[in-house]
Amino acid sequence: MRLDFSPQEETFRREAATWLEGQLSGPFADLRTGRAHDISAPERRKEWERALGRARWSAIGWPEEYGGRNATLAEQVIFAEEYARARAPGRLGHLGIELCGPTILALGTEAQKRRFLPKMSAGEEYWCQGYSEPNAGSDLSNVRTRARLEKGPNGPEWVIEGQKTWTSLAQFADWCFLVTRTEEGSTGARGLSYLLVPMHQKGVTIRPIRQMTGEAEFNETFFDGARTAAENVVGAPGEGWKVAMATLSFERGASTLAQQMGFRNQLDAIIGAAKDNGAARDPLIRQRLAEAYAGLKIMRASSLRMLTSAQSGKLSPEAFTYKIFWATWHRKLGELAMDVLGPAGELGTAAPYELQELTKMFLFSRADTIYAGTNQVQRNIIAERALGLPKEPRGGA
Amino acid sequence: MDFTFTEEQQMMAGAFRELLDDLCSPEALRAAAEKRGDESGARWARIAELGLPGVLAPEAAGGMGLGDTDFVLIAEEAGRAALPEPLVEQAGIAVPLLAGLAPHAPRAAEILAQAASGALRVAVGAPGNPFVLGAAQAGVLLLADGDEVHLVERAGVGLVAQPSIDTLRALARVEWQPSAATRLVSGAAGRTAWARAFERGALYAAAQCLGLTQRMIDIAVAYACERTQFGRPIGSYQAIKHHLATVQVKLEFARAHVYAAAARVVDADQRAAAAVSSAKLAAGDAAELAARTGIQVHGAMGYSWEVDLHFYMKRAWALIGSWGDRSFHMRRVQSLVLGGSLPLGSDQTFVRS
Repeated sequence: MRLDFSPQEETFRREAATWLEGQLSGPFADLRTGRAHDISAPERRKEWERALGRARWSAIGWPEEYGGRNATLAEQVIFAEEYARARAPGRLGHLGIELCGPTILALGTEAQKRRFLPKMSAGEEYWCQGYSEPNAGSDLSNVRTRARLEKGPNGPEWVIEGQKTWTSLAQFADWCFLVTRTEEGSTGARGLSYLLVPMHQKGVTIRPIRQMTGEAEFNETFFDGARTAAENVVGAPGEGWKVAMATLSFERGASTLAQQMGFRNQLDAIIGAAKDNGAARDPLIRQRLAEAYAGLKIMRASSLRMLTSAQSGKLSPEAFTYKIFWATWHRKLGELAMDVLGPAGELGTAAPYELQELTKMFLFSRADTIYAGTNQVQRNIIAERALGLPKEPRGGA
Repeated sequence: MDFTFTEEQQMMAGAFRELLDDLCSPEALRAAAEKRGDESGARWARIAELGLPGVLAPEAAGGMGLGDTDFVLIAEEAGRAALPEPLVEQAGIAVPLLAGLAPHAPRAAEILAQAASGALRVAVGAPGNPFVLGAAQAGVLLLADGDEVHLVERAGVGLVAQPSIDTLRALARVEWQPSAATRLVSGAAGRTAWARAFERGALYAAAQCLGLTQRMIDIAVAYACERTQFGRPIGSYQAIKHHLATVQVKLEFARAHVYAAAARVVDADQRAAAAVSSAKLAAGDAAELAARTGIQVHGAMGYSWEVDLHFYMKRAWALIGSWGDRSFHMRRVQSLVLGGSLPLGSDQTFVRS
């Protein structure tokens, strides 16, 4: 066990920090927001993605031939930390780089890797995730969207019918990684396939879903005779559930460290507000600020432990517990922010619905215990998979 | 001792609830949030017809001459409906403030009847808070300058609209100059008047939180019965139903607290202050838990604008910070309990001496 970084790793850290500082105090100064959820200025954000790609900072853990640097886990951790420290913007490309890309790397064909990964890391193609449906939320395997193979002008194609929902960033996406039923009459996790589907075609329609923050990051996505080439399936047809689950396991990658750095920036903003308005003199607030700090330290140590043990290829019980911990911690941080702001927490900054940063963070944090598996689903997973308790009785669907 | 509401009290609240079910449908709230149409005036007129602005005004001024245990149920219903108009602030804070000052301040006496009938809309600014609810819609404003109570014409002040997280709350920053002409009272009389107004502000914010909590539970329960996952209604899973049961427990204990504070607030003593503060804490905590649970039960739907839940959540969050936030009321309970002046002990806990 070794908690510090080697001299070579510190050199790498300086290289990353220098590059980020140069960009974010220079050509990309306007993007220095540190905001994770931000859908403003998409064209500028795409320019930023391309700049990351050109300098090979976009997907550093990937092999060089696909635009990466073959970076070690420690280097990925360092880059994630420096990225957040520099208050760089949330990644418009993150659904591709962090979810779909690693899935293709692990389970895709050579042709798929060559076709999709370089454009992903270069910021030339953007991705969205087609998992949830109106009736497939926590019960994700209850997917109704279906696809069948038909003859097309250039060979066989999947033809897709159905509806996905909560598709983040679909409005900026060129491609969607889609879980769809390809075996007629199949139910549950059997008979699903993991397709890669172009978004810019007649059979795809997007409708934004307004969130209670007033913004619309999510969408409903309708597939009405949408098509993709037969070879755009990751893993074997009918084996999509396994592929989809592999993708979800990548959600627990080095990006959790970046997320923690973002949290740290938010905690600092709350501490600053508490000092400014006197709330920091309140012993109850002081205690909660200290608890929040301790929670962050716990998360950092836990994710380092989790990431290094994941290198051995085995998902250990602590990995199951991480989502519920950070989500619950962050939801509490939002409540703390509102209590620190006091009556001022209610105030917006401009009509119709511009909110101050901490208030917006509070509203966003309400979704944390829902997306990527609700706390209830997480507890079932911990109980059933980590502890080996009997499965929850389910209806006879 | 009788800790129940009379049939008349329940009937009045029931009539108001029926009216609100009609006036504050989710479609009506959406229209109000988007500032479509001019329903506000019509809604206010219907409420005034029931005489509700004058519940706490003396009969001589055309009011009902009732007390806080009568009005607390009205405030609860206003919360349950997320009523956009500040009825609670006018009837529960401004009117009793005017009624208390009427014997010493002729101008207060002059407008009391109009305020009680609802013909005149009166906004009230919490001391120390530059943002006043309903200021733009009011004819007059009650404002604090130190201990002094001032009554100013809306036309005589500058207003800067201030957006709220709750788009149904019309807040404005008020820019104004106190003068001898606007002053109603000063010194100890003003201090007492503001102290009483503050207690009612906190009490009725708590009462609204009760109604909001119940509404959020009701919405979540309906959704949990209807939404199916894994082949069953999600409400059949203990993970969901225990969550909702926990909120209802929290609400019922908060209710008792708030009703006790409504019975005590008229005394305007330390025991009343302790009751109001712990009621505000209990009701605010129940509302916060209901909001959190409501979203959780709805899953991602709970986070969307199209589900009505967010109107009630945002009202609750706004009220939790109003008329003394959580820290303020917690500190006040601490200082009363530890300060030695609040009568404590077994003979003081349940029965009034």
